[in-house]
Amino acid sequence: MDVFTSVTLQLLEGFGETLKVFALTLVFSLPLGLVVCFGSMSRWKPLRALVRGFIWIIRGTPLMLQLMVIFYGPGLMFGMHSLPRFTAVIVAFSINYACYFAEIYRGGIESISQGQWEAGQVLGMNRGQIFFRVVLLQVAKRILPPMSNEIITLVKDTALARIIAVYEVTWAGESFIKSGLVWPLFYTGAFYLLFNGLLTILFSRLEKKLSYFRG
Amino acid sequence: MALLQVKGIQKKFGSTQVLKDISFTLEQGQVLAIIGSSGSGKTTLLRCLNFLEKADSGEILVAGKPADRRQFGLVFQNFNLFPQYTALQNVTLAPTLLDIGDKEQIRRRGEALLRQVGLEDKLEAYPWQLSGGQQQRVAIARALAMQPEILCFDEPTSALDPELTEEVLRVIRGLKQKNHTMIVVTHEMAFAKSVADVVIYMADGVIEEMGTPEEVFDDPQSEKTKGFLTRREI
Repeated sequence: MDVFTSVTLQLLEGFGETLKVFALTLVFSLPLGLVVCFGSMSRWKPLRALVRGFIWIIRGTPLMLQLMVIFYGPGLMFGMHSLPRFTAVIVAFSINYACYFAEIYRGGIESISQGQWEAGQVLGMNRGQIFFRVVLLQVAKRILPPMSNEIITLVKDTALARIIAVYEVTWAGESFIKSGLVWPLFYTGAFYLLFNGLLTILFSRLEKKLSYFRG
Repeated sequence: MALLQVKGIQKKFGSTQVLKDISFTLEQGQVLAIIGSSGSGKTTLLRCLNFLEKADSGEILVAGKPADRRQFGLVFQNFNLFPQYTALQNVTLAPTLLDIGDKEQIRRRGEALLRQVGLEDKLEAYPWQLSGGQQQRVAIARALAMQPEILCFDEPTSALDPELTEEVLRVIRGLKQKNHTMIVVTHEMAFAKSVADVVIYMADGVIEEMGTPEEVFDDPQSEKTKGFLTRREI
């Protein structure tokens, strides 16, 4: 097997792990973000304060640090078993991204005029119906650009998983340095670029799809 | 018995008393115009009737019983149409969600209502494709779709260019002909004079003057009303 093929295979294997971290983080953090968002908008002050404090901590400290705390913390602090490495990565990433998404959701929801809620109310609709049938799609349209930003950042942040020894594509690329090969690093970059290029196309399609209305 | 009885409504925002003991009645099929300068409490009164604000005290009775939200409809100054829905979908959304009749029935009623407001050729148009006057007419059809006993308008033409105002007022006149009971908060004095059966002039949270358009506009008793009408140069 020539060098190029073996590098390719190894990078592909790493990239598979990268994609797994990326996809699972999205699956958990997108809905979790909505929960965090509702908490941060709660009319009950203690809950609101608690959730906003939590968001402050998560957004105010490095994701790398959070990864270490979640992986090593339970064992060192409470003598518990550590989470499996991969699980710890998904937990840390999901919580971290949920907080960022929550703030984007909140901005989107608060940008919808009170008049939309009131129009639904006087027509006899309840809050859930107004949220899901009137407000949500307008919010989705407005938050698409910041969400695509955040999601593209997530693709690159997955490289942090290696800090607790979870194998992914950047680590795979780096492993060739000891054999004196630098070009696999650029090759690794190409994987990210290609994938983010696809995401960019996907998001601009979504934006186009929602361009049939204004508001 | 009067269709609508409002008894002693009080409303405070912080330390400001916005509504002070508001009482009036309205008969079935009558049109009530509420006039007054901004800050007089007229919009707050309308919002209390529509359950958007809760009155601190007082009673709102429809046909002698405590009012239900669904007995009132409200047309907003800024239309507040749902931007992602077509004109027809705007009209049919609430009846569909609240299960008022079957799908086909709701759609046909929606089409009939849009025809009634002169928009039969705009069923599939989105709000951004409509002029302000057309949007407001969709909003009227949307409110009618819930078959309210009393239809309220909050300055329905204030956001419109003068040339678009008339098409909305024409629709409201048409509704009066169909015996709809309506409450219109308005700055259009000529319109209030021509279409209303009862006029209320509000100032500083109280009903300063109430009567037929002739009484209020041509022979006002209160100095405040006289002052307001002079400034308006009727």
